[in-house]
Amino acid sequence: MANGMRQLHPNHLTLLRVRGAIFALAFVAVAALLDATLVGEIGLRFGVATGGAAALGVALALWLPGRRYRAWAWRMDEDELRIASGVLVRSDTIVPFGRVQHIDILRGPLQRHYGLGSLVLHTAGTRSAAILLPGLEVAEAERMRDHVRARIREDLV
Amino acid sequence: MSEFAPGVGVVADRRLHPATLVSRTLRVIPEAAGGMAAYGALIARADLARVLLMILAGILFAGIAAFLSWWRFRYGVGEREIVIESGVISRKRRVIPFERVQDIAIEQRLLARLFGTAHVKIETGGSAADEGHLDSITLADAHALRDIVRGRKAAEAAAEAEAEGVKQDAAEPVLFEMGLGRVLFSGLFNFSVVFVAAIFAVLQNGEELGLIEPTDFALKSADMPVRMWVIASLVTLGAVLLLGMAAGVIRTLARDYGFRLTRAAAGLRRRRGLITLSEAVIPVRRMQVARIESGFIARALGWYSLDFQTLGADARGRGAQAAAPFARIEEVRPILAETGFPEPGEEAAWRRAPRRSIVRRALFPAIGAAAALAAAFALAAEAGVGAVLLLLLALAAPLRWTRHRHLVGDEALFVAGGVIKHRVRIMPFARAQAIEIRATPFQRLLRLASIRVDTAGAPNTRGLAIVDLDAAEAAALAERLLALFQERRRIERAARS
Repeated sequence: MANGMRQLHPNHLTLLRVRGAIFALAFVAVAALLDATLVGEIGLRFGVATGGAAALGVALALWLPGRRYRAWAWRMDEDELRIASGVLVRSDTIVPFGRVQHIDILRGPLQRHYGLGSLVLHTAGTRSAAILLPGLEVAEAERMRDHVRARIREDLV
Repeated sequence: MSEFAPGVGVVADRRLHPATLVSRTLRVIPEAAGGMAAYGALIARADLARVLLMILAGILFAGIAAFLSWWRFRYGVGEREIVIESGVISRKRRVIPFERVQDIAIEQRLLARLFGTAHVKIETGGSAADEGHLDSITLADAHALRDIVRGRKAAEAAAEAEAEGVKQDAAEPVLFEMGLGRVLFSGLFNFSVVFVAAIFAVLQNGEELGLIEPTDFALKSADMPVRMWVIASLVTLGAVLLLGMAAGVIRTLARDYGFRLTRAAAGLRRRRGLITLSEAVIPVRRMQVARIESGFIARALGWYSLDFQTLGADARGRGAQAAAPFARIEEVRPILAETGFPEPGEEAAWRRAPRRSIVRRALFPAIGAAAALAAAFALAAEAGVGAVLLLLLALAAPLRWTRHRHLVGDEALFVAGGVIKHRVRIMPFARAQAIEIRATPFQRLLRLASIRVDTAGAPNTRGLAIVDLDAAEAAALAERLLALFQERRRIERAARS
């Protein structure tokens, strides 16, 4: 990891785990339903599918969130924001503030519960037209937004 | 009557030319006929009379719709802005201030030329959705409007346009033009793959649809000697290739006939077209990336094309504007100089990816080829075709590696690549939107990383990318590009104020 890069707020890890757990539960529920109704017909013993799904679910809720959380890192400089992310495909993006068209702060229901927000920087580009940085404390995200806004205004003059 | 506050702003009191009704109604015929043909094919018992009746109904419907939208469309030209009011039920009033207008593009399709009308596109700095369209008004009105926006006196300009007709402004220096001979010759290189595919599709399915009698084809007879069969196949292939070439020539002729590029105040003015005449200005301020492209045969003969990726690409991502479709490199240079795009430096300064990039490029296709080969033996022999194609792709890896090069110049980043079609992209540093370093698992295994530079109006899939740099070098280059970006931006800002 490059120097001076910051991690996301610890609450974001909890959020990722909760989100993972919700997905895992849904996944296991569907698997159990299929287990009870369909899987027996192809000759699989009852419990195999549910067990497999549960194992995958545990990975989804416990192991993956940690990896994903650690993959994120960011650094706010005077003139640009730098964001690293991605578990498999690593990405390290630099957005100069002079190129930002507008800024959003997004807050989903889980994020609101944990006092978090995502900062979204929109540029005129195509591939990274919206650059997302999740897991920021709301006050932090708002400070960043104000800073970027000030820089855009300066750039226009 | 205007639904919008009377007495406020410019009154929208002008209607589009009535000929618009005819052209808009006729425009649906091909679609309606196509739809009906599909309908006829689906329902075997549909008789011709009913199909024709439905086509007529479609045209009538389109006619009514065209009339309603024409009737409810008004525009007005004020001292400082153009106002467009449209919408049959829900009304919309759009105000486009002259300062926001980048240019007024005038296009004349075949029918419009018969009626002496033109489609006017008012281009603003924003996205395609923010543009204004006047479809259509008389050509004289179109020229007058353009001249008003350019700040000339309305009456004088209208009279001038009336007298001149479509004659071009002699004051603008010509940067590039193509004679008939060159347009026809360039068509040979615009071989239409789609057209050839369509012919093959018809040959394949024509029999089943009853379009072609099986007896037409000597190929069909089983007792024909192999040699004859080969000759017949080659003749068919040759004929199809010839047709594809002819289609390319015709398409190019229709599009590029009378191609002329002149230097306008705000950018490059391009006029072209045989049946559909079009005139557009590519504003220098909206140019993001210059692209010099050449297929391998054209390149061997010294022919190149130049286009510019511009801001405000339309929804289909067609942001590229052709500036010189078929030119010698000596003809491309002055256009680049005129638009402020630098030329690449000496050959030695270009950099290549480390050699292990060949491994990375060949790995996936090779694995795929092996899998396809296994599938060909185990499951279906047809997978063998896929295996051969993937193997070719794997073998092309060294060539692709050789061709992919980059150069960090004084003012711009240059990226070259492509085996069959070779292209060089020129991006002035200040045009970057975001810089990204990316590494897939395979790349990380080989300590490689790619740099992608996002630009405005870039196609979704093929943006500017330097593939497979050494990971440490990629990080350093990203920093350097960022520093160069900030420096150029500072210079631009200083120049503005």
